[in-house]
Amino acid sequence: MVGGYAPATLEKALRIRAEETVVPYAGGTDLMVQNRKNVEYLFLNKIAELKQIKVDKDYIHIGALVTFTQAINDDKVPQIMKDAISKIAAPAIRNAGTFGGNLGNGSDKADSVLIEFAVDAKVRLMSLKGERIVNVEDFCITRRKIDLKDDELIVEVLLPNKPYKNYIYQKVGGRNSLAISHVAFAGLFEEKDGKIQEFSAAFIADAGRFLRFKDIEQTLIGKSKKEAKNLKDKVIKAYSDKIVLTAGRVSAEYRKTVSLNLLRDFLTWFGV
Amino acid sequence: MYAIKFILNGEQTEYTGNAGDRLLDVLRDTYSLKSVKCGCKEGECGACAVLIDNTLINSCCVAMGAVDEKSIVTMEGFKKTPQFKVLSDAMADFSAVQCGFCIPGMILASHATLLLNPHPSEDEIREGLSGNICRCTGYNAIVKAVKKASEEGDGLW
Amino acid sequence: MDNISKSVRKKDHEPKISGESIYVGDYQCAKDGSAILTGKILHSKIARARVLSVEVPDLPKGYFYVNAADVPGENKVNIVLDDTPVYCKDTVEYIGEPIGMVVGPDKEEVERILSQIKVEFEELEPQLDVRSSQKVFFDYEFSHGDIEKAFKEADKIYEEEFETGYQEQAYIEPQGMMAEPEKDGKMYVHGSMQCAYYVHGAIMRVLGCKPDEIHVFQDVTGGGFGGKEAFPSVLGSQVAVAAYKAKAPVRCVFDRREDMEYTSKRHPSICRYKAAIKNGKVTALDCDIVFNAGAYSTLSAVVLQRGIIAAPGVYNIPNIHVHGKAVKTNTSPCGAYRGFGAPQTFFAIEMMMDHIAQDLGVDTLEFKEAHLVKQGDMTSTCGKYHFPVPLPDMINEIDKVCDFRRKHKEYAAPQSGRYRKGIGMSLVFHGAGFTGSGERDIIKAVAKLRKYKDGSVEILASNGEIGQGVRTTFPKIVANELNLPFDKVYYNHPDTERVPDSGPTVASRSLMIVGELLRRAAIKLRSVWIDGKEQEVEEHFKEPDFMIPFYIDKFQGDAYPTYAWSVNAIEVELDTLTGVSKILGAYGSFDVGTPIDYNIVLGQMEGGFLQGIGYSSIEKMDYDSKGRIRNNSFTDYLVPTTKDVPNMVAMLHVEKYPNGPYGAKGAGELPLVGAPGAYVEAVEQALGGAKIHPLSHVPFTPDDTIAQLNRHREEI
Repeated sequence: MVGGYAPATLEKALRIRAEETVVPYAGGTDLMVQNRKNVEYLFLNKIAELKQIKVDKDYIHIGALVTFTQAINDDKVPQIMKDAISKIAAPAIRNAGTFGGNLGNGSDKADSVLIEFAVDAKVRLMSLKGERIVNVEDFCITRRKIDLKDDELIVEVLLPNKPYKNYIYQKVGGRNSLAISHVAFAGLFEEKDGKIQEFSAAFIADAGRFLRFKDIEQTLIGKSKKEAKNLKDKVIKAYSDKIVLTAGRVSAEYRKTVSLNLLRDFLTWFGV
Repeated sequence: MYAIKFILNGEQTEYTGNAGDRLLDVLRDTYSLKSVKCGCKEGECGACAVLIDNTLINSCCVAMGAVDEKSIVTMEGFKKTPQFKVLSDAMADFSAVQCGFCIPGMILASHATLLLNPHPSEDEIREGLSGNICRCTGYNAIVKAVKKASEEGDGLW
Repeated sequence: MDNISKSVRKKDHEPKISGESIYVGDYQCAKDGSAILTGKILHSKIARARVLSVEVPDLPKGYFYVNAADVPGENKVNIVLDDTPVYCKDTVEYIGEPIGMVVGPDKEEVERILSQIKVEFEELEPQLDVRSSQKVFFDYEFSHGDIEKAFKEADKIYEEEFETGYQEQAYIEPQGMMAEPEKDGKMYVHGSMQCAYYVHGAIMRVLGCKPDEIHVFQDVTGGGFGGKEAFPSVLGSQVAVAAYKAKAPVRCVFDRREDMEYTSKRHPSICRYKAAIKNGKVTALDCDIVFNAGAYSTLSAVVLQRGIIAAPGVYNIPNIHVHGKAVKTNTSPCGAYRGFGAPQTFFAIEMMMDHIAQDLGVDTLEFKEAHLVKQGDMTSTCGKYHFPVPLPDMINEIDKVCDFRRKHKEYAAPQSGRYRKGIGMSLVFHGAGFTGSGERDIIKAVAKLRKYKDGSVEILASNGEIGQGVRTTFPKIVANELNLPFDKVYYNHPDTERVPDSGPTVASRSLMIVGELLRRAAIKLRSVWIDGKEQEVEEHFKEPDFMIPFYIDKFQGDAYPTYAWSVNAIEVELDTLTGVSKILGAYGSFDVGTPIDYNIVLGQMEGGFLQGIGYSSIEKMDYDSKGRIRNNSFTDYLVPTTKDVPNMVAMLHVEKYPNGPYGAKGAGELPLVGAPGAYVEAVEQALGGAKIHPLSHVPFTPDDTIAQLNRHREEI
């Protein structure tokens, strides 16, 4: 085709990616809005291997070209992810938008990426030279900046294969559909033998990047709920100090207050 | 170089233009399919929604290269189907069409909703149409019409 | 239900739903088959500046740059005054002001040329703050009673300021106009519009030609809501000048961002209200109202008139003084939007009454009920409410459907926990038709019926179908009066060459005023009907005999012959963690007289009510320190979707108006007007009431809710 490539295999796609200056095209829902002029697209939608959802012992593998609608209808995808992606925009966008695209456009408000942050997901990247597996928090550097080399493609997202039983996901947008997250919160919690075994809290707050502070989380790991309760105000203060926001669609005061409100609610919900 | 081949309203079609061209513009300008309306070009209104392989997609958010080997249906094609007749009659019963600009996209969204779920609840209808902005009606009439179509058109979806 | 109210299949249902209707952007070629040139406007990027030079690159053959120098007539677009230029004069007065237009066959080439034009500006200090603006376009004042005495004798005096923001019409079809030079030298202008004769009048001046040298046709129009009342006169003039220069058809269709940022919107307002209380009743009201008109005066005069007339709302307050101003700022000119000035002042009076009641420790609804106007009472302008005021019955209807009184008292008690509830009610009217003697002195509507040999009857009028259903309701009236089958009567989109001037499609007037003209015309035709003969009848507007003459200089007399009424209740559940107010229910009882078509009227009520709820809650638009509107896309200016108010109930209450067709009154604007008062009262109640959180502006967003909660937390 004129002005673009639509390879049927990943190998061919990687070759084109290596040899030509192309813009990878997944679902198009963000790219087409950007309306870039004079670019050649590398259309990835014919590559069957990028559209698969698989599970092995360690990971749930979600192919880069898996659409949100496909994932919502797949039993292998954990509910926490479904909660988030079913609130993306509206059906026509979810039918086209993909996991790879949500990562690749470098938005700091990508709803699927928030969950990936919260669950310590990894991103598998490939080039002709081989593959790289990077932690999602390393892949997403800041808004519109990702760790993707010019010859690489996002191949899949790896979610740790866990039950994800105790979690809270909340999205706050400007309306009930077709809404960009003003604030979104994903928190996970696990307890074992009376001690906090896992505690994770990730935020979208129009902060230029996704927010997750593992050092603060660490202060609660291994504690009993009672001990954690005593630390609660200190923990929230620590988050408050770290969440520094700049001007955005809604006020920084709003985004920060709501972020901390949702965090406090999450702690209260699991008994801290 | 080869042309982009796709099925457009049932007809095998070849597009020799640029793969980066926007489907919305190509449908309107190259193929004169004017039922496909442009309301925002940003995926935020649904006026340009079409069916691609029976799935609802905003044509403003699609480059031509992505429709190679796909099947596209616009209102020009859909209006010949029995499902259209049922939806149209139901919409007429509630006078759900006002200015008419959102309605081709809205009807295709209604059809797509019923394809996935032939007997949706009101909430499910509202979810199915949630990407299509209508500024005229307040949506009640449209939602009631889809509900009625799902009953009248039992077996069609 | 009257027979006339029974719903029919709308005349435009089939072509619209099948996608066959041709909107202005859909034409493949001009009427004579020639290719259409694309026009794109060169907009100012600066709020106020002298334009020193415009450097246009060398233009390829067939491309043109059009500006003020190309205007053959006057470089003035006639709206109410003539201050809006077709293309800017020496200065630009707002971001977006048209400097010129690039015209040519290829859209992308036009855009490329546009991007290469260099404009040299000498920047001037823009006036952006409405409060300090010294340039007053319109200044009106009226009073009755003895306001000074009432304030002197008051037990208590309240003073409060209320603010409302922009509202964008957000019709789904953006503005678009096209001009085609015709072989006989005429200019044919058509597009998306509400008022074909407004466009006609404006272009005559701009092209410097006679009435019969141009004709204007309304294409199928994808929504107006007031936004296509005056603006098409501006864009129409611009394409007409371009077509005149290029000697070829020119079309300009705005893209969404252009449309949202640069076309007219609802006037932001600041209303300062002062009330005197004596023995638990409001005895005097002093209202100071300022509308932000933007850079040119456009329709601000008439918008302001309607706004200030509604200043005391539906309450009988013996002493009032109202002062209203529309001031200039260097921002996009504001204009008409459904409600036309009234939503702003109704919000102020409804909140004022709420706040006074709460301070006095009485139920807000009971307080309002104690002040309601009734038939025979004097209006704010010393006119008369000539007909029954059905508000008490409508309040009961709403109470019945949503258990308002019980909930309103229950939610007023202190609440705790994450989620808190509130319910609010507003009571409003809307006067149909032009304000004052406008219908009689300015519009002078004429409508015709033409009967053909085959017995079919064509309606000739200039009111445009914009979704509100006139292509269906007009024929219903005529068919009913002539006892003809519905399909024997039809009404096409108006072309000024073929139809008389029955006035613009504005002010909720089409059905009530022109519909009645058509009913009378039909009776006339019936009396002269001869089978097999082509016949024509004509009717002219006649002011009802009961009207108390209105004097605009004094704001005295009947501003409107009658009023449509509405009672709105909105119930919310407020999430104190996120500030989001979920709408649990929105209930409206609307009296627009006899519905000429039940479904059509219900659709108007539901659609308008939802726009009003959007205006109250999520539709936020503002300009920044440079005068630029950032909320210029559907991503950043949010309108309600299917999922935002799933539980909206609209009900019709019928109080017939004897001078409207079969008892019909104006309908289109009413449902929007009351939403802000009801919504904000509900949110305020959920927040704990006005004593803690007196809310005073719309839109009231989650951002505002959290700010209120934070402030309160700091205070305690």
